[in-house]
Amino acid sequence: MSHSTVVTSAPKENVWIGGRSPYNVSYGKMMMWFFLLSDALTFGALLISYGTTRFFSAVWPDPNEVFKAFPFMHGSAPLLFVSLMTFILIMSSVTMVLAVHAGHYGDKKAVAKWLLWTIIGGICFLACQAWEWTHLHGELGGLWGTFTDPNTPVSSFHHFFNHHTAGHVLETQPLVAMQATHNFFNYFFTITGFHGGHVTSGVVFNILILVNTVNGVYERRGHYEMVEKIGLYWHFVDLVWVFVFTCFYLL
Amino acid sequence: MSAHHSDSIQSLYEGDQSKLYSGVMAHHHGDINSAESKAQIKKIWKVFWILLVITVAEVVVGMFFSHAIAKGLVNFFFLALTILKAGYIVSIFMHLGDEVRAFISTVLIPLVLFVWFIIAFLADGFFWLRMNNSSPARGDKVEAVQHHK
Repeated sequence: MSHSTVVTSAPKENVWIGGRSPYNVSYGKMMMWFFLLSDALTFGALLISYGTTRFFSAVWPDPNEVFKAFPFMHGSAPLLFVSLMTFILIMSSVTMVLAVHAGHYGDKKAVAKWLLWTIIGGICFLACQAWEWTHLHGELGGLWGTFTDPNTPVSSFHHFFNHHTAGHVLETQPLVAMQATHNFFNYFFTITGFHGGHVTSGVVFNILILVNTVNGVYERRGHYEMVEKIGLYWHFVDLVWVFVFTCFYLL
Repeated sequence: MSAHHSDSIQSLYEGDQSKLYSGVMAHHHGDINSAESKAQIKKIWKVFWILLVITVAEVVVGMFFSHAIAKGLVNFFFLALTILKAGYIVSIFMHLGDEVRAFISTVLIPLVLFVWFIIAFLADGFFWLRMNNSSPARGDKVEAVQHHK
């Protein structure tokens, strides 16, 4: 392109005088970034609200005590199941970025292959989340709006706490511990639910672009930018999980 | 709707623009088995291993050391590694590192708001915890105050 060589040979190129995008990205991709920015603020608001509530609680359930079950396994395995979920999501992020990469080179077969793996990874993650929700509700009694009755026996929530740090409050102020349990489950189900909703829609988007890829829509269009845009969304979902993982399971 | 018709609509609202700005013109005829492509794939897998090792380190500390080491230190460790993981995902997987500097700034600068959000809301949480523990507003709190004395 002779035009661009003329422009770049100037001492300092002014990209803001019109005729091109100063950001060097298409409208669709830029808007995906701005959507993700607003979505980051939404997730941030939820997580910071969770943090505030946790900070004003004298005690808080210990993740090592709440999240210690693993399917088809007896005994205690703290954080093992969530580690598996995290691994699945990181893995599906890798397959997604490989699909985007294949798209840059116009390799239709490779795009379809990696998108399929990404979809499988997303479905595995959702299945894990479904198991975890079922376990937390069925066996631990947690869901939105639970642990509100002041006559609830301490024995139904005392095992969520670390007894070295919270034992004193459990004995003297069980209602404070019950309120913390109530808040903990409300935030847990809201935030992982909102994240799971994003994963679900991400899987749907991935299925749509897989169908388009196989049908040759992007091949005819000449580029796979739609895979890039959905890829951004999918990586963002992984990014949010990194923060959810830290806030709920580690801290 | 015929395939031809929907294609012409798509090319109207995004076809040309994407071709102009996303670099597909330059890359389209590239070979996925070229040295450049292989180097990029190698980098992706390298980032995967980094993310995996960081996560395993976090889980090991969370499982075995979270009560043995000072809480503040453990939390700093978790938060620093979280930011590091987020950096790798955004920069390499989302290719933000490959965009022009002005665009990187446009995306990242609004996130500075989080610094204020976190300071403000956590300070609020501390304040309410102190209020809960010191003001005898409810029956069970009075008991708590007496206990502390």
